[in-house]
Amino acid sequence: MKDKKSSMAGRRNFLQSGMFGAAGVGLVFSSSSSVVMAEVDNANIKPEVANEVDVLVVGGGTAGVIAAIQAGRAGAKTLLVERNFQLGGATTTGGVAFPGLFDAWGKQVIAGIGWELVKESVELDGGKFPNFAKVPRSHWMNQVNVNQFVYALLAEEKCREADVELAYYEFPEAVVKTSAGWTVDCIGFGTRRQVKCKQIIDCTGGAEVVGLLGFERLREEERQPGSYLYQLGSSHNPASKQLHRLYVHGADSTNSRTATLANLTGRQSILAKVRKDKKRLMHLQPETGFRESYRIKGETLITVQDYTSGKLFDDAVSNAFYPVDLHTKTGVRPKPLKRGVVPSIPLGALVPKGSRNLIVAGRCVSSDRLANSGLRVQASCMGMGQAAAVAATLAVQGNTTPSEVPLAEIHGLLKKHGAIIPGKA
Amino acid sequence: MAGSGVWAFAQPFSIQVIGLHALTGFIFIAVIGLHIANNFVPLKKYLKNRVVWLVAALTGGLGALFYFQPSPVKAVLGLSGNLGPALDRFEMTEEGMKYDFTPSPSYKLSLDIRTGSTYSLKNPPRLAVWLENQSFYHIKTLYASESEDIKEMLPYWAFKVKGWEEAKKEAEETGVDLNESVDAVSGATENGSFDPADYIVPGETNSSMPYRVMIEINQPADPTEKMEDQPSLIYQVEVDNYDPRTFQLLELVGYPVKEKNEEGEEEWAIYYVDERFGSAMSLVDSALLRIDRSQQ
Repeated sequence: MKDKKSSMAGRRNFLQSGMFGAAGVGLVFSSSSSVVMAEVDNANIKPEVANEVDVLVVGGGTAGVIAAIQAGRAGAKTLLVERNFQLGGATTTGGVAFPGLFDAWGKQVIAGIGWELVKESVELDGGKFPNFAKVPRSHWMNQVNVNQFVYALLAEEKCREADVELAYYEFPEAVVKTSAGWTVDCIGFGTRRQVKCKQIIDCTGGAEVVGLLGFERLREEERQPGSYLYQLGSSHNPASKQLHRLYVHGADSTNSRTATLANLTGRQSILAKVRKDKKRLMHLQPETGFRESYRIKGETLITVQDYTSGKLFDDAVSNAFYPVDLHTKTGVRPKPLKRGVVPSIPLGALVPKGSRNLIVAGRCVSSDRLANSGLRVQASCMGMGQAAAVAATLAVQGNTTPSEVPLAEIHGLLKKHGAIIPGKA
Repeated sequence: MAGSGVWAFAQPFSIQVIGLHALTGFIFIAVIGLHIANNFVPLKKYLKNRVVWLVAALTGGLGALFYFQPSPVKAVLGLSGNLGPALDRFEMTEEGMKYDFTPSPSYKLSLDIRTGSTYSLKNPPRLAVWLENQSFYHIKTLYASESEDIKEMLPYWAFKVKGWEEAKKEAEETGVDLNESVDAVSGATENGSFDPADYIVPGETNSSMPYRVMIEINQPADPTEKMEDQPSLIYQVEVDNYDPRTFQLLELVGYPVKEKNEEGEEEWAIYYVDERFGSAMSLVDSALLRIDRSQQ
C-alpha cells in the first residue's frame, strides 16, 4: 500500500513538474525550483475530525516535541496539537536557537531525545558543539547554537518516524473527563477536532489545559520581559551569529490578547529602529519569545532553595541546570549555581495537584518564581518533556495515572531512550 | 603639610585627607618659590656649603628608596593605613597567606589562603591573586610571587595580564575609551570597565558590576602517576556589591590549557579538573574572601 502511494506521488510529481516545465516556456525559473505534492483527498476537507489516541500532547514547543516523540517511540498512539505552524516553539518560532544547558561541571546532565534532536541539527548543519570539558566563561557559552530551520524540519521528521500525528493551527477549547480518560475538543481554522485520549501532556508553556480544567495555577503580578529577535543590517547566519534582541517589557503569553499586544509592541519598536538606524531588516522572528506566564501548582513545588541546593528529590525524573536568571526591567543578573550543584525535577512537580491522567512539561513546571527562572530553559524543558511522556505512556500501559507509575519503571524506560537519570550523571 | 601627611599615613585612604595634603603641598611649593625669590642672594651663598649638598644627596637617596621600596622600606610603609604598599598588605605565616586590600575606609577586602597538606614552606608554589572584570579582563594584580619563572608557572595569569596591557596600549594608541560598554551575548549586563574602582568601590551599588577575585597557584615539578607535571590550578569567586556578602569561599575552577580560538589566535582556556590530578589539589586548603563594607 505504501509502495503504491509512493509511485502515485511520483507520477503526480512528474506530471506537475511537466506542467510547470511547459508553463515555464518563455518564463524565468530558478534552477533550484522543485515541486512537491501536499494534495489532500476532497473527502478530507469536512470540518469535523475525530481521533482516538493514547496520549494527546498539547503544544509542540520545546517540551512538547520531545514528549510526543518519546510517547510515540514508547508505543503510545500519539497526537500532537500545536497552535502555530511549526514545531520547536521558543527554539524555532521564538528564535532562541541556542538551547541549553545540557552540561554541568564538565559532565552532560541532560541527554535523551532532546539532545538527539539538537545533536542531529548541529551535525546536519555542519555546526559546532561546545566542549563540555571546558569551563565556560559564562553559562551561556555552553548553549548549543542550532539552525532553527533545520531543527524544525528534523523535529517534524522525528515525529513522523515515531508515528506521531501532527495537527497544526489547532488548540483545545474544551476538555471533559471521561471514564476512559478525556474528551478534548480542539479548534482550528476549518477544523473541529474531537480527541478521545487516555492521557494528556500539557506542554503549552502556560498550562492552558490545566487552566481549562480548573486546576490551580500560579501567576505573578509582573512578568519577566520577553525577547523579540531580529537582524538589522547584516544578513542572518543561522547557528553562527546570534540575532539582535529587543526586550518587550510586559510580554505575556497568558492569552491571545496579551500575546498579540506583545507582538505588536515588539514589532512596532523594531520598525522604529529600522527607521532610526536606516539599516535593512534582514530577519524577523514570527513572534516574541515569552519567558513567563502561568505555572501549575503541582503535587510538589520546587522552591529556589531546592533548586540552588541541588536537592535530589525522591521522585526525581530529570535534571536541570541553569543559573537563577530572573529578567527585570533593568536587565538580568544571573546567579550561577554553586560548584557541583545540579538541580533535579521531581515527577510531582509535573502533576497538577489533585489531578489524574494529566501531566505537564516545560516552563509551567510547579515551582516558585525564582526557581522557575532557572528551570524554564530549553534543555531542562526537553528533559521534562521526555520524563512526562514516559510517565504518561507507562500510565496508559498500566491503566493508571502518571503519579502512580513505579519510579523504577519510569527510570528504566527513560534510560532505555537515552535519558540521564538524576543522581546518576 | 606635616600634619596632613601624618594624618594620611596613619589612617586608611581618604580622598578628603589626600585632597587636603595635596593643597598644603601646593601651598608649600608656592611659599618656597616666594622664599627663594625674596632671598635669592643669601640663598646662593648656601650652595657653597657642603652640608647643603649632603642634605640634598640624602634627600635624593631617601626619595629613591621610598620610590623603589625595597623590603625594609615596604615594611615601614606597611604600618600605614594609607594607599600605597599598605593598600596591598601581604603576610605569610605558617598557616598560610593573608592579603589585605583597603581601597577605601568603607571597603576592606581580606583574602585568607590557608595552605593545604602538600604546601611546602621551603619550596613554596608560585601564586598570583588578581581581579577580573565581567568581560574576563584582568583589571588589577593584587599579588604575584617574585620569581623569574612566574610567567611559565602561572600561564593563565600571565595571559590575562598580557591581554590587559595590550588592551591598554591599543586604547592609548587609538584613543578608544577602554571603559565603553561591550555587547554581552547573553544580553545580560553591559560591562567592560578597566577601572578597579568601578567594581570595588562603585559610586552607586545599584549600578555596580560584579567582579572576580582569582587565584592561580602552581607547584613546580609535581608529577602524578598520570601527569609529568601538574599544571597550575585556578580558584575564583565572584563579588557582587549589588548582593553583598561578607564571607565568600573561592572555589576551584580548573586548570589552564593553551588552545587556538576560532580566529586562530592562541589563548588560555580553563578546563575542569579530572582524576589525573593529585597533590596539586591539596596545595590550598581553603581561600576565604572577607569584605567589610561600611557606610561612610
